[in-house]
Amino acid sequence: MPRRFITAEDIRRAGSGELVVEPETVVTPQALEAAQASGVVLKGVNGTAYEQPSPDRGPDAVRAQHSLPLMPEPEGDEGGGTGVMVVVVGRNRTGVLAEITAVIAENGGNVRDVSQRSVEDYFHLVLTVGLEHAGQFKALKETLDCLGGDQDFVARVMHERVFRYMHRV
Amino acid sequence: MTFSDEEILETLRMVELETLDVRTTTLGINLLDCADPDLESTCEKVYAKIVHHGKDLVRVADSIAADYGVPIVNKRIAVTPISMVAAASGAYDLVPLARAMDAAAEEIGVDFIGGFSAYVYKGFSRSDEALFRSIPEALEVTKRVCASVALGTTKAGINMDAVAQYSELVLETARRTASTGGLGCAKLVCFMNPVEDNPFVAGAHMGIGEPETVINVGVSGPGAVRSALERLGPDTDLLAVYETIKRTAFKITRVGELVGREAARRMNTTFGIVDVSLAPTPAVGDSIADILELIGVEKAGAPGTTAALAMLTDAVKKGGAMASSCMGGLSGAFIPVSEDQGMIDAVAAGALSLAKLEAMTAVCSVGLDMVAVPGNTSAATLTGIIADELAIGMVNTKTTAVRIIPVPGKGPGEMVEWGGLLGTAIVQDPGAFSCELLHSRGGRIPAPLQSYKN
Repeated sequence: MPRRFITAEDIRRAGSGELVVEPETVVTPQALEAAQASGVVLKGVNGTAYEQPSPDRGPDAVRAQHSLPLMPEPEGDEGGGTGVMVVVVGRNRTGVLAEITAVIAENGGNVRDVSQRSVEDYFHLVLTVGLEHAGQFKALKETLDCLGGDQDFVARVMHERVFRYMHRV
Repeated sequence: MTFSDEEILETLRMVELETLDVRTTTLGINLLDCADPDLESTCEKVYAKIVHHGKDLVRVADSIAADYGVPIVNKRIAVTPISMVAAASGAYDLVPLARAMDAAAEEIGVDFIGGFSAYVYKGFSRSDEALFRSIPEALEVTKRVCASVALGTTKAGINMDAVAQYSELVLETARRTASTGGLGCAKLVCFMNPVEDNPFVAGAHMGIGEPETVINVGVSGPGAVRSALERLGPDTDLLAVYETIKRTAFKITRVGELVGREAARRMNTTFGIVDVSLAPTPAVGDSIADILELIGVEKAGAPGTTAALAMLTDAVKKGGAMASSCMGGLSGAFIPVSEDQGMIDAVAAGALSLAKLEAMTAVCSVGLDMVAVPGNTSAATLTGIIADELAIGMVNTKTTAVRIIPVPGKGPGEMVEWGGLLGTAIVQDPGAFSCELLHSRGGRIPAPLQSYKN
């Protein structure tokens, strides 16, 4: 097994010259400082310049990356893409629905389902929105979170997966 | 996939109004490979390994919170008990290791790191002894490090020598942190039957059977349970109350399961457990005492409280067990007195005594948690309180813990304000009678008959 760490003490022992660092080895910040101070050059196994490796999370982690995606999910939409729930509560006025759906469309969202109710001046609106890929979620959420205001309406956006986990077995 | 409006609004209400959140995402890191004959090198390795593995934790947790719209309140680190990591160094003073942990936690942006710990349920190694000796100073000079020690197990009995030493540690830690009301003791806990995958501080640490790295998640949600019971009203029987708690716990746990799986995937590591604990905060409504009162006792601590708490804890576990195959940690209901506004009110009203609290711990998931006692409480009295609590856990084959704070300069009935999540406490009266002889005898209470199951 390659050594786990290189410490400042290891650098002092090396004296000067080159020290080859295997890919799994973590070099401590103190060792990096000591190397710089004493002129010891850290090299990768191929003679390349040393780079801090990405963390080795252990043997179970490797297996987990295969088995995690196989764990059953609650029943859901098989259509692919990302489902998003948008809930809006606020004061009813002309054009409010158009304003919200326009923002959804601008962010690549396709409204799959709408439910709206009004009580006197107020409305609450539930939209199920489909996104083509998960990367669009953040922009949609940030835009909708900023929309409306205290006296107007408030929009909340949550991932469909949360609802599936909560309400479906 | 379609959901009814009621389902959608219920989820939103739980998150927005009832403070449903993922209380902690804790990354466990095994530090056994950091052992070194030289303490300074051990410290270097400990710092480097924690930062190496933990540097993505906050970013990943925040990205999950943003992507799913569920708040993840705390991000924390749990490590291998430091007495094991330090053993090879032969050092007597392990405070430098606590400083290394603290610096690493600061570097990666987590508020607490657990694992300045030792298992001494049957006796001390040299390194365990060094760790015990280092705890008061370590808690004084660091901000983020939490210490925990295992003083007994059902299989081993109670190490009363260790209990006596621990009592002295608690007093010394309180004295060293007197300017903040003995707050160092809030980062120090002792265990019977320690849980090795506990994601909650102060007891979080990474047991020796755990993988190299692991994500453990702690969910919370007393607010959601309280609201559900409020809507249920007083006209239903206890079975309906139980069912309501169980269903709510299921939903809360599912969110934890989702976040745990996702965090493990994004961190490229193993998903360990979901700890399904109703963990209160000082925020109004986020209270276990309120739930007990809704079940049917006038104030937490009134007759009937233990029965109500037993029912609550079990209903939470049943809901949680259906929701996640990997329910672990402490799972149940926490009753940290100072962190729960309803509990504070109950103590102030004279409803909740230390004795009643002890009875409640026999059926809750942890133990005497965040309990304030007078600053002049003797080590013998602390030993008695702790040994009583450990005995409850030993005989019932359950985890119990004690996090007790002798508040310097304060007497029974006086109030101490710790602020933030740690809340406010009213100093409780441990009584006038002593257990000096029990304290000074030392030795061990051997394993009970319940442990002979082979």
